[in-house]
Amino acid sequence: MNQIDKPIANPIVVLREEFDDWAVLFNADNAAAVGTNPVGVAVWKLMDGKKDIEGIVSEIKNRFEDTPDAVGEEIAAFVGILAENGFVGLEQDSK
Amino acid sequence: MRTPRSLTIEITSRCNLRCRYCYFFNNPEVVYRDLPTGEWLTFFDELGSLGVMTVTLAGGEPFIREDLPVLLEGIVRNRMRFAFLSNGTLIDDEIAAFIAGTGRCEHVQVSVDGSSAQAHDSCRGKGSFEKVLRGIHTLQRHRIGVTVRVTIHQHNVHDLENIAHFLLDELGLPDFSTNSAGYMGTCCVNADEVLLNVEERKEAMATLLRLTEQYPGRISSSAGPLTDGRMWRRMEEARAQDKPAFHNGGRLTGCGCPSNKISVRADGAIVPCNMLAHMELGRINHDSLSEVWQNSPDLNQLRTRHHISLAEFEFCAGCSYIPYCTGNCPGLAYTLTGQVDHPSPDACMRRFLEEGGAIL
Ligand code: SF4
Ligand code: SF4
Repeated sequence: MNQIDKPIANPIVVLREEFDDWAVLFNADNAAAVGTNPVGVAVWKLMDGKKDIEGIVSEIKNRFEDTPDAVGEEIAAFVGILAENGFVGLEQDSK
Repeated sequence: MRTPRSLTIEITSRCNLRCRYCYFFNNPEVVYRDLPTGEWLTFFDELGSLGVMTVTLAGGEPFIREDLPVLLEGIVRNRMRFAFLSNGTLIDDEIAAFIAGTGRCEHVQVSVDGSSAQAHDSCRGKGSFEKVLRGIHTLQRHRIGVTVRVTIHQHNVHDLENIAHFLLDELGLPDFSTNSAGYMGTCCVNADEVLLNVEERKEAMATLLRLTEQYPGRISSSAGPLTDGRMWRRMEEARAQDKPAFHNGGRLTGCGCPSNKISVRADGAIVPCNMLAHMELGRINHDSLSEVWQNSPDLNQLRTRHHISLAEFEFCAGCSYIPYCTGNCPGLAYTLTGQVDHPSPDACMRRFLEEGGAIL
C-alpha cells in the first residue's frame, strides 16, 4: 500500500459492536466477517477517505495509551486485510 | 451479543399446501394473520440499525407473498443477507432471477420427502413433488444455493436409500439434511398416521447411519433419527464404560438458540424460536428488539435453562443416562408436557429403550 493511499470504509460493511470490547465487521455482499478489538474499531471509524495510514496511526497513538512500537505496521496490515476482502476502498490522492 | 446476529421471520401465515405433519398450522396459541408490507420494511430498518447480519424468511410459505421483491429490497437496503425455508413449489424464473440479482441470498432450503411423487405427495399433497423439482431446477439454473430438508414420517421411512440416491446422485446436490415429523401443530391431529413408531425410528436410524458412511459428510441433521442415533450411541457407550459426564450432560442444555437468534411470527409477535411460538416476548415496531433481546425476563430465563439439572425431574428419576443427556428441544418438551423447562420425552433415550427400541 502506498503512503498516499487514503482508505475509505465500504459503506456496505456493518460494524457490530458487541459486549466485552469485541466487534465484528460484516460484508453483506460477500458474507465475509472479521472480528476486531477496540483499536480496530477506531481504525475502522477513521477510514473516511481523507486520512492516509500515517494520519490514522497518529490519531490512534493519541487516543490509546501504551500503543506498541509496531502499531503502524499492524494497522497497515489490518487495513490491507480489509482491502483484500472488499471492506475498504483506497482513495488515490490526486495531488 | 448486544443484538441478535440472525433472525427467523415468518413473513406470512399463508401457505399453498396443507402438509399432514406441518408444525406451523393448527397451533391454538398462534394468531394467523399477515402484516402489511410497510410494517416489515419498518422492522427491517430497525434490524439494519442493530447490525443484524442474516434473516431467514419462513412461513407458511414465504414465496406466496406477492410483495416479496419489495421485502427483499428492504433487507438488501439494510445491509443484510437472507435465506429461505420453503416448500419449493412456488419458485418461478422471475423471482429466482430477482433473488440471484441481489447477490445476497445464502440459500433456499426446500423440502423433498421422497424419491417419487408417491412418497413425497403422501403428506404434502398431490402434484407437490413435480412442483418442488421444478423449483429446485429453477434455483439451480439461476445459480442460487439450494439445500434440501427431508422430513421423515411413516410414509417415506422405507424410501430413505432411494431418497439419498435421488438427491445426491441424480439431482447432484452437495448434501441434504434430515429431521422427522414432530408432535406439533397439524402433526398432533394426524399423529397416528404420520409420526414414526419405535420400529420405524429404529429403521430410520439404522438406514441413516449406514447412508452417512456411504455418503460421507453429505447427510446432516440437527434433530430427528440421525441425531438421536448418533447421540444415543455415544450415550450408551459412555454409560457402559462408566465414563465421566459429558460437558453438556445432566442439565437442560439441549438448545442454545435463545443466546444466538430470535424469531418473529407472521403477526409480528417476537418469540424465542418458531418451536416456542406461544412465548410472546414483544411485538415488532412497538417494542425495541434490542430491549427485548437484552432484557426480556422470559428470554433471559430461557437462557438460564441450562442450569436446571435433569436429576430434579421425576421423569428422569433413576436414569443411568443422566450424566450424558441434554434434555433436548424445549419446543417439543412444551407440546408434549406443557412445560418448557422439562426434558423432551420425544428424544428420551430411556423411554425409547423401554418401548422396545435398541441402540445400533
Ligand atoms: S409444512 Fe410448510 S409447506 Fe407444509 S403446510 Fe406447513 S407451512 Fe406449508
Ligand atoms: S430419562 Fe430420558 S430425558 Fe431423562 S436423563 Fe434419562 S434419557 Fe435423558
